[in-house]
Amino acid sequence: MNPAGLSLEQAPPFSVPLRFFLTAPWFLALAAALMFWEGPLIFASRWLPATLALTHLLVLGFMAQVMLGALLQILPVAVGVTIPYPRLTAALIHLPLTLGTLTLAGALLFSLPSGFAHAVGLLGLGFGVALLAFHIALWRAPVASGTVIALRCALGALLVTVALGLLLAGGLSWGWSLPVVELTNLHAVWGLAGWTALLLAGVAYQVVPMFHMTPPYPTGLTRSFAPLMTGVLAAGSAFILLDWTVAALVAGLALAMGLIAFAAGTLYLFTQRRRKISDPTLGYWRMSMGSLLAGAALWLLTQWIPALATAPQVEWLLGILLIFGFAIAVINGMLYKIAPFLAWFHLQAQLLGRAKIPHIKQLLPDTPVRRQMRVSLAALLLLLAAAVYPALFTYPAALALGATGVWLGVNLWSVWRTYRRILREGLAIAPAIQ
Amino acid sequence: MTLNLPEIVVDGRGLEPPEPMERVLAALDVLQPGQRVRFLIHRQPYPLYDILRRYHYPYETIKGVDGGFEILISAP
Repeated sequence: MNPAGLSLEQAPPFSVPLRFFLTAPWFLALAAALMFWEGPLIFASRWLPATLALTHLLVLGFMAQVMLGALLQILPVAVGVTIPYPRLTAALIHLPLTLGTLTLAGALLFSLPSGFAHAVGLLGLGFGVALLAFHIALWRAPVASGTVIALRCALGALLVTVALGLLLAGGLSWGWSLPVVELTNLHAVWGLAGWTALLLAGVAYQVVPMFHMTPPYPTGLTRSFAPLMTGVLAAGSAFILLDWTVAALVAGLALAMGLIAFAAGTLYLFTQRRRKISDPTLGYWRMSMGSLLAGAALWLLTQWIPALATAPQVEWLLGILLIFGFAIAVINGMLYKIAPFLAWFHLQAQLLGRAKIPHIKQLLPDTPVRRQMRVSLAALLLLLAAAVYPALFTYPAALALGATGVWLGVNLWSVWRTYRRILREGLAIAPAIQ
Repeated sequence: MTLNLPEIVVDGRGLEPPEPMERVLAALDVLQPGQRVRFLIHRQPYPLYDILRRYHYPYETIKGVDGGFEILISAP
């Protein structure tokens, strides 16, 4: 092996993104366990300690975990920029994020001021390292493509989300007086409509045409969508803080329409696929974009019918549609593309010409993916039902959520196991890599 | 004598990953000294560059007018 050759490589070692991917699914299982423990009462309000803990197990434990891990991979491979010291950077993000998520969930659940202080330190460290590494890399990107622009906007939105989150957690730890409702709403909107939706858009510009053989997203749209959305988010936030109700409503409508346009446009691209081969991960995309459409439409409806806006069930439905239906589903689907692809790629890189590399489908067959997707869809429907009829559906929803998380974890683990086995066997045949 | 070997053209445009890379790596397996692979692809194949560098294949990337790329790969 030539160490000088290795240092030139764009792609980070497989362990860099994989440690995030193998951790994330177990947070879905943990969230399900919390639902079991709390029972139907958890659906009484979005402000209950258990509800806030549940939300953060999902958005930090699952979503941020995979999103940050995937960025460590995507930036070098799709954008062509390197992240310095990838293993160390990954560890400095992964460990504090994982421990910080558990600490924050515990602090929220048991209302522990000292827990919030520890969570602020851990999450501040993990996100701080991530933001620094990604911002430096992205501003050095050789080409400002639609993806690069969207990723820059997404990371700007992540900065706002994290800053607001740390402020809120600091307030709970040190008793600062803050406009908690407004800041929490802004924290959630920047996290979901900014960081999550814009990161997804930037990644979608690349992976939807690449993996699903669709025409590309229109270039004008890919370059303007994320900056426009970020501008609307910033203006809307200022209007909310200034208490300019009408202007804030207009910004909200623009944001919802932007998300609807992105979801509808993506669903339209899927109807234009050049090769209509069955692909189980398409189901996740449809579930995700359908949920985004439904979530944005429901929010618009609450603006027409004010009584809806204050109903706790509606806030829950919005949260379930946007967090589980939109974000978690599409992340779950993309993991099934990314993980086997990376395993296959690293096997090629290490065993080229020395051993036969199996087809990518042998690393992860379609059947378990398809079955887990059905459980995931069932979990979405049961969670929505539980928000309206908690007494009846909380336990089935928790069961489905736990099952989908564990199953995803097992499927990803099997990719890792198969990779290790093939690598071991290949290296046994030809131990030296030039 | 090997200088007159024809170029191996690999067209990976519009194929689902990892098929383009599978095809180009298969072509590298049969590449003779003095011969070249011309790889047509619709996007920058950054992961392929890693493998080419690791195994010391000299390569050159030409940007096409249609937004695609041609990668000319020689034997190490």
